[in-house]
Amino acid sequence: MNLMNLIYAFGLLLFAFVLQTSITGINRKVIARLQRRRGPRWFQQFIDIFKALSKSSTSHGWIFDFGVVMALGGIMATAMFIPIGPLQALPGLDNIFIIAYVLAVGMLGMAMSASGSGNPWASIGVSRALTNMLAYDIPFMVVIFGLIFAYDTSSLSGFAAIQQEGGILGWNIIRFPLGGLVAMISLQGMLGKKPFDSFIAPAEIASGPMVEYGGRHLGMLFLLHEFQTFVEVSLIVHIFFGGGATVLEYVVKYALIYTFMNIVSNILPRFKIDQAVTFFYKVPLALAMIQSLLIIVTGLGVA
Amino acid sequence: MNSMNSIVDDLKGKFDIINVVFPDDMQMAVDVDKNDVHTVLSYLKTIGYKQLSLMSGVDWIKENEFEVVFIVFNWDNGIHILLRTRLDRENPVFRTITGIYPGAQYYERDIHEFFGIEFEGNPMSYKDLFLELWDEMPPMRKDFDPLAYSQDKFPERKYESQFIPEVGVIK
Amino acid sequence: MFNIVEDTQKTREDTRKTWEKIADYFRANSIWMKWYCTGCGAMEMPPTMTSRFDMEQLGMGPMATPRQADVLLITGYLSAKTLRRVIYSYEQMQDPKYVIGFGSCTLNGGIYFDSYATMTRLDHYIPVDLYIAGCMPRPEAIMNAFDTLIAMIKKGEAKGWKHYQDNYEWYNANQIHSLKEVRVKDEFHE
Repeated sequence: MNLMNLIYAFGLLLFAFVLQTSITGINRKVIARLQRRRGPRWFQQFIDIFKALSKSSTSHGWIFDFGVVMALGGIMATAMFIPIGPLQALPGLDNIFIIAYVLAVGMLGMAMSASGSGNPWASIGVSRALTNMLAYDIPFMVVIFGLIFAYDTSSLSGFAAIQQEGGILGWNIIRFPLGGLVAMISLQGMLGKKPFDSFIAPAEIASGPMVEYGGRHLGMLFLLHEFQTFVEVSLIVHIFFGGGATVLEYVVKYALIYTFMNIVSNILPRFKIDQAVTFFYKVPLALAMIQSLLIIVTGLGVA
Repeated sequence: MNSMNSIVDDLKGKFDIINVVFPDDMQMAVDVDKNDVHTVLSYLKTIGYKQLSLMSGVDWIKENEFEVVFIVFNWDNGIHILLRTRLDRENPVFRTITGIYPGAQYYERDIHEFFGIEFEGNPMSYKDLFLELWDEMPPMRKDFDPLAYSQDKFPERKYESQFIPEVGVIK
Repeated sequence: MFNIVEDTQKTREDTRKTWEKIADYFRANSIWMKWYCTGCGAMEMPPTMTSRFDMEQLGMGPMATPRQADVLLITGYLSAKTLRRVIYSYEQMQDPKYVIGFGSCTLNGGIYFDSYATMTRLDHYIPVDLYIAGCMPRPEAIMNAFDTLIAMIKKGEAKGWKHYQDNYEWYNANQIHSLKEVRVKDEFHE
């Protein structure tokens, strides 16, 4: 690792920001069309973020300020490890476990900051968000452990390389459909989309953790959300959809998966948090267990 | 109508009823003395009028009296009974009915605030409900002048021209 | 006394710096609103937001709390009790912030001009950038007002928040005159 790696890493961050923010903007348009509206311009999300950053904002104590910076820093650090197609800023460090752990830094920073605001809605939102995280992470990790057992690797580019050998039929979503289904459901939970968005629920707990953020702080949260989405969707693209042999292939897959999740989100109502946890521990966890057992005992689907 | 008449006979036999009118079918209005209200309400509650639908006040300024109105409802036969009683306007004191219908708590606060009727035995009724930091006479009394109060408290917008050609003269 | 027309004419000579002009472009094209459902005007917002009129095409959207919002919509009459909460909400918002008063009730009291409980002039208590006449204004009028607000922000004329900071004593004196005390002391704040 040298200076060039760092420069690449920051280039990657810029790319991730532009990519995800554009796709969010396009998705707002898609959702508008779904609801028979005209919708905002595709670069509306950029305007929103820059506008939020241009406003003044209030502090609620140093934990509040520090937590936002820590969350943004943690998520940006995570995003640096993600390979984009064949490109990698920090080669050899794209291990799933590194990503999962560094991602938690961002989540905890966010939780710390929101609790530091002292607003009861924020505390409720944070507790719901962490409960939700516990719910989707367990089925997801069970599936991932099965895949690691099958392929003897835990690096994202390793997974992508193995899948690319077999063409579309080599993708893990085809080879392990149960695990793929669990991962897609977990992704919905990770992204905080409906039906698993009870922790931001604007109408009942006034947007939860974000309740006391305004101006610059809110702008940083929006940035954070873009990077977080980038990391989470990228995980799925690499592990289940064969990554990308070229950057273009990767971007197309990424956009299609995110748009699909968004459309699914917009036709579903919202689970209560206890319903979400019960659901995750019943259906996806059972499917994940079956998938892992199939892999370990019968080797079904392993190339 | 039969059940209504039997209720009226029942009430007349047991209590000192001043007057009964029937505003509508399934509704009747009963006037009682203010000392009988609590016994009548307790009796009505035992025979099925479990819901206090409304409790309100009326200012009869020419007769120098306040009227307190209770509407109770029976879910079994669908009859509304409107119980009315008069209080002296100079000294409007009434005993609380929260012992019979606990839900009357907020109605009593409301009536105390808007009419100045005091409810003995309900210390909560002295708290502000809608009007915060109110310093005038209770606003629902007929001798209260809302326009003067509004002009004093909330300054009006001054218009340079009071004439709009398309509409004609206003004000 | 604060006159909106004079005020906007005064700020017409452009003293903004370049970065403020760029920021105003972003602020004009992304307006997040908090609408305070005090009166009947709240009913006109759902059609404005949904597919018939679709305010999102202007970059506007609803927000959950005043801290996140840029524009405060006062949709209808304000009682003295609500006015306290509105002042709280307004002061929680982050600069730059704008206020739109809906309908004749915020303008001059409307049909409640002689009520003991509702105030008659909103711009006495918080600075109002734009009024929409009507009882209530239709969604077309609301969309028109949003267009006007966007143009005002682009030109740097929506300076109500600055006016509030510069003339805080005047606003505060009006608030005290009408409300006695701005601080909320109800049974939920004990």
